[in-house]
Amino acid sequence: MTNTRRAGLMLVAPATLFIAIGFLLPVFVLLSGAFRLESGWTLSNFTDFFADPLYREVFFRTFRLGLTVTAVAALLGYATALAINDANPRSKGRLVALLVLPLMISPVARTYAWLVILGRTGFLNVALTSVGLTDEPLRILFTEWAVFIGLLQLFFPLMVLPLISSLENMPRDVIPAARVLGASWLAIFWRIILPLTREGLVVGGTLTFVGSLTAYVTPAILGGSKVLMLETLLYQRVSVANDYASAGVIAVILIAMSVATNVMLKRLATARGGR
Amino acid sequence: MRHAGRALLVVVMLFLVGPFILICLTGLSGGETLAFPPDGLSLRWVIRVFEIESFRDSFALSLTLGIGATLIALILGIPAAYALVRYDVPGADAIRNLLTAPIIVPGIIVGLALLRHLVIPSGLGVTLALFLGHTALLIPYAVRVTAASLQNLRADIEDAAILLGASRIGAFVRVTLPNIKNGIMAAFIIGFITSFNEVPVSLFLTGPGVATLPVDMLLYMEYNYDPSIAALSGLLALMSLGVVLTAERLLGLSRYV
Amino acid sequence: MSDPFLELDALTLTYGDTIAVEALDFHMAAGELVALLGPSGCGKTTTMRAIAGLMRPAAGHIRLDGRDITRVAPNRRGVGLVFQSYALFPHLSVYENVAFGLRIARIRAEELERRTHAALGAVGLTDFAGRAPAELSGGQQQRVALARSIVMEPKLLLLDEPLSNLDARLRLEMRTELARLQREFGIAMLYVTHDQAEALALADRIIVMNDGKVEQVGTPEDIYDRPTSVFVADFVGFENTFRVERGALSGANGPVDAGFAVTEGARGLAWRPQDVTLGQGPHRGRIEGASYLGQSVEYLMSSPLGPIKAERPAHEKRHATGTEVTFDLPQARAVELARG
Repeated sequence: MTNTRRAGLMLVAPATLFIAIGFLLPVFVLLSGAFRLESGWTLSNFTDFFADPLYREVFFRTFRLGLTVTAVAALLGYATALAINDANPRSKGRLVALLVLPLMISPVARTYAWLVILGRTGFLNVALTSVGLTDEPLRILFTEWAVFIGLLQLFFPLMVLPLISSLENMPRDVIPAARVLGASWLAIFWRIILPLTREGLVVGGTLTFVGSLTAYVTPAILGGSKVLMLETLLYQRVSVANDYASAGVIAVILIAMSVATNVMLKRLATARGGR
Repeated sequence: MRHAGRALLVVVMLFLVGPFILICLTGLSGGETLAFPPDGLSLRWVIRVFEIESFRDSFALSLTLGIGATLIALILGIPAAYALVRYDVPGADAIRNLLTAPIIVPGIIVGLALLRHLVIPSGLGVTLALFLGHTALLIPYAVRVTAASLQNLRADIEDAAILLGASRIGAFVRVTLPNIKNGIMAAFIIGFITSFNEVPVSLFLTGPGVATLPVDMLLYMEYNYDPSIAALSGLLALMSLGVVLTAERLLGLSRYV
Repeated sequence: MSDPFLELDALTLTYGDTIAVEALDFHMAAGELVALLGPSGCGKTTTMRAIAGLMRPAAGHIRLDGRDITRVAPNRRGVGLVFQSYALFPHLSVYENVAFGLRIARIRAEELERRTHAALGAVGLTDFAGRAPAELSGGQQQRVALARSIVMEPKLLLLDEPLSNLDARLRLEMRTELARLQREFGIAMLYVTHDQAEALALADRIIVMNDGKVEQVGTPEDIYDRPTSVFVADFVGFENTFRVERGALSGANGPVDAGFAVTEGARGLAWRPQDVTLGQGPHRGRIEGASYLGQSVEYLMSSPLGPIKAERPAHEKRHATGTEVTFDLPQARAVELARG
């Protein structure tokens, strides 16, 4: 017995040590730096950061965008997942492939496409003005709307795919059974589909929310320096101003939010799911 | 209900896939600046992409990085996955959590941490740090995909091979490996694509003449507003499409995503 | 008897702190077919894995053919094992599955081919050589597993629940086949089962295990007709088994007089349902249920002794559910159990 335990440890050791030393250690040192000044341990980096109205705005914007993207993706995601689950197996396979495909394409390419669409002389404005809906080109690029659209497109598949697999794992015929018992569509969604697909929603929600909070490419291309989010702010503070104090604070916030969301939602998924 | 569902699917799929079609068209523009509709069709920007030296360099770096980091991640990850699935490893839960940490820690923090606390104090090259960061990022995928394949395979076939005379390692190589080969190939492709498309970790890990392709594209974008990025984006999208379709046909890749 | 072919000597097997098998002794002769019979969790599969070398004993010795193999690696023991799940290699054809061990042993090509074909022939699968395991039925897969072990000419072949995954018809077929192969190749076979019918039908000798220890060793007749403990009597279907305490049967609510003088030293008494007579005798019970079985009627009764099962010929007087009856547990038909 002890033999297989030792063999097991030896097989796990290289990967574990690699991540512990080459990955977690530098990250830990960086994070601990946010709580230090030359004078010693302190929280003043944090108080300074939140004292700045611009930084506060970035902080709240990041949250606002993360929540809106997740909420819209969840609503739209359920509708999409239900429609895909209803399709015949052949087209279902194709639709799922269409959802997976964008995940394999460079986020830079995916986001750049929106630059072409949302720009002043982009596809959308050309279309709108030629139809006569607007006289002036709409200013969408470098607004929160642009970032919202980009993030939604980027993370939508990550919301829908887990929902589809939860729907597939739902016992067959529960929906017809509920129909026969006289439930309305709203009641069916609320009392049957939602509880039974909770795990998929939690997985998709975590991926979308954390993904949106920590996205760099989308706010960098579609928001620019006008619509900063925490990641783009971090990059800007380091590359423009060598401001490692703010960078450390942002790093702590990002990692805390990421870890907290993952842990909290994992609890939520198993809390009542394991009955 | 049916019709509403179908209409919704059309809209959603247009939202997801439509932009790629537009960007491919824009990349074929004959004009000087990014605009829609493009000023005539030509291949000049597609050709231009291959003439820009920094793109050639960064493409080569991203390719090497993707292949190298994925291989190292698999070499480290396969034994770990094997032990976690087949053996009673002390502290298995903690190790599992540790091995998924790279997915949870935002990439930009990893890049900055490696730059500040590894590259600068040790004088190690940025390229090495890139390999380190990407390998760490890919280990969770390597472990997860390999573990999933192992879980679908009976454990006792290795015992059977040993009783027929094979050594422990021989049994793994002759019996287990051939049966998880597809899973490992899928992990390789997913890992490669993840590394090749990765931005946040690589963002800070740039130096004179060193940048991964996506980061190089971001840098180029800051100063240029011509259709070459659109052309390159289109090319990358087609490349991913090719890889994924081939892998799907050969391995059924979507089972592993 | 000369030196035993396989001998387990005070073998103790543990999982962590849990003792699965404690100080187990048994032996078998060359060419013998022995069944290791016991309920699940009794340690029989663990014992078999230890003989194969897949787990290391905490204490004790295993000797095979005059050699102590306790510390010998599993791939050098000359022991074959047919897994309950068959454990066929899914990526290899039937032929390559059977040839696997020969290839590892680097057997020359002609000999490898000859032996592989012979083994496939012996189990009647010559025509299936090119198939993948997944394309075969359960019975065929089992025969591949058997051929794969036999081709290595093991000194000892272990079989884990060899008939449990087969339907009734295949069981009979496989049973005959195993007996034939055993005669033909003279391989000693030890097989593990939880099914007493399987053990009785196939084995030269049966070792009954319970809770990590040997309960009884004997021929199928010994085990079936003359169990020596309460556990074995229960396990081989006596149905009415009672411990004896101070000369009386221990019932559900305390001691009950047997109606005869119990032999000194007997620790338990057992009757088969056919041996319980109704309508007379010192005991009273209430019929709780009756099922007509064609030739006979089976009664379930409640009594101060606890539940009693009786099986009476169909032509005897019937007793309706809910009626009170007297019954007898005749001394002449009782099996005395030496251990409680």
